[in-house]
Amino acid sequence: MPGLPLAVSGLRLAFAGADVIDLPSLAIAPGTMTVLSGASGSGKSTLLYLLSGLLRPDAGSIAWAGTDIALLGESRRDRWRRKEAGFIFQNFHLIEEMSPLDNVLVPIWLDSFSANAKRRRALDLLRQLDVPAERDSVAKLSRGQQQRVAIARALSGNPSIIFADEPTASLDAAAGETVAAILQRLAREDGRTVVVATHDPALKVLADQSLLLDHGKREPAP
Amino acid sequence: MNPFPIAWASLRRNSFTGVLFLLIVALAVALGIAISAQERALRIGSARAADKFDLIVAAPGSHNDVLFSTVYLDPTAVELLDPAITRLLFEEAEADFVAPIGFGDAIGSDPVVGTVAPFVDHLSGGLAEGRLFEDINEAVVGALSPHAVGNELEVSHGHGGATGTDADAAADAIEAGEAVPGGDGDHPHITIVGRMQPTGTPWDRAIVVPIEYNWAAHGLGTGHLPQDTHIGAPFDPDALPGLPAVVVKPKDVAAAYGLRAAYRTPQSTAFFPAEVLVELYALLGDATAIMSGLTLAAQALVVAAILAGIVAILDLQRQRFAVLRALGASPLFIFTTVWIYVAAIVVTGALAGLVLGWGAAWVVSDLLAQSTGVAMRAEIGARELSLVSTLVGLGLLLAVVPALIIYRRPVVDALR
Repeated sequence: MPGLPLAVSGLRLAFAGADVIDLPSLAIAPGTMTVLSGASGSGKSTLLYLLSGLLRPDAGSIAWAGTDIALLGESRRDRWRRKEAGFIFQNFHLIEEMSPLDNVLVPIWLDSFSANAKRRRALDLLRQLDVPAERDSVAKLSRGQQQRVAIARALSGNPSIIFADEPTASLDAAAGETVAAILQRLAREDGRTVVVATHDPALKVLADQSLLLDHGKREPAP
Repeated sequence: MNPFPIAWASLRRNSFTGVLFLLIVALAVALGIAISAQERALRIGSARAADKFDLIVAAPGSHNDVLFSTVYLDPTAVELLDPAITRLLFEEAEADFVAPIGFGDAIGSDPVVGTVAPFVDHLSGGLAEGRLFEDINEAVVGALSPHAVGNELEVSHGHGGATGTDADAAADAIEAGEAVPGGDGDHPHITIVGRMQPTGTPWDRAIVVPIEYNWAAHGLGTGHLPQDTHIGAPFDPDALPGLPAVVVKPKDVAAAYGLRAAYRTPQSTAFFPAEVLVELYALLGDATAIMSGLTLAAQALVVAAILAGIVAILDLQRQRFAVLRALGASPLFIFTTVWIYVAAIVVTGALAGLVLGWGAAWVVSDLLAQSTGVAMRAEIGARELSLVSTLVGLGLLLAVVPALIIYRRPVVDALR
């Protein structure tokens, strides 16, 4: 699945009269990993939500391969996300009452009644990520394994773009390195566009592009 | 889309609370079902019990008292019908048979009722065992009576009182066609010669004796000349004593209404059991309607309270729904998931309540049948199904409220 290029221009989002995001331009090439970094409250998660269409900007465009998602209505943005994007979160946000396999199939159920056709792919993803698929609940897995289930879930719809919000923040160093390596592989080997909001220096090292934010504005790299 | 796996997982997340909500709905529904089914069982059972008592003629007074004492063998003191009226009834050409009914005695807790053989045959529709009584000291027992054919029994005066005295002397007197010495309280032994088919009435527990036995045991003669030892009609018009009630089987509907009118006089009253029951049912129906209304209102409040609880429970899962939105779930998917969650609790609770209510009504019917002798069977009918459907419909409609509340929650706030 080749990734999609991103072109952002004049992006602005204000809250209570103050700009929380002010980004004149940003370009991301497919097959790369871009890291959004900055201190807490710098706006990196907000920018990630804007780029994924979860938030709508007050001004500007967010064009993924020419599709300006800032102009799309809610239902079309939902459909775009289902088709093009996968999401990874700091706290994994898996459904504990489900098995690893069923968690991976969740994005499929958002679109189709039956996930049977995608079951093989889900199992392959879990195997590739070294997660025991047969467990009856993801709660019984280690935190590293849970994050890998979350990665498999993000990949189950075979998306072009992966958004990751602090994907290593709640993992130990070893598990964090594994996840960082997987994200890098998704960009470099699979050709997907990977956008990561993180504090983790290890991810910054692996990134093709790094964007440092301060109060929603781009800061020059140190 | 397939929201079922997510709805199921959400139900499992708070399974204890879910089961608790389900039980509350079930109990609320069961209460309504039990009241409704029980009321109908009582109505049908009591109506069926009175089926074979076509027209009752008695002394003027409360129809209810006569009905309850004659049909349901409820020990009630009633005025005795003037023998002159009984005499006229026995001469009625419009009656298939005229059955005098006498009561006031018992063996243990089982009532001893005096009547004539044709009425026993009519009530029972043929015997299950043995034969009808042919002698004054013979008896036929109801289908549920513990006494076996061939048993000899000693009758006591009154209901459940002490046994009589000098029974053998009384028996000798009766056999000889003489007035029983000592009058009230002299009860000879009786032999059971037959068992009736089940009638679904308190008569199923009764010991049915010839009316002559009943009269003789109370010192009233036998209704025949002293030398006449036969039992049943014809009776000697001058030897007839007073009676608590007479059951008349008219030849046809016109005759029934004619007889009813003819015997509504200052000396007697005549009524169809159905007309008394209809009045009672009207009263019962009003009470049931009020109770059903209150039950439905209580159920609606229960559902509303549960929906509020569900909103609180699902609000704890708002992050889960936000994540689903981030993964691309449409608002419709979230709405449907929440709606299924609520519907599963309401529908399962209502169905469990239907079964529970039916079971409760069945148990209560059984207990009531045991205590009254009136056969009752609680069944789920259109009214109960309609009650459940109304509640389920209301629940499914109200389920939209938490669904709307949850799907409108801001996604990004819940993700942070």
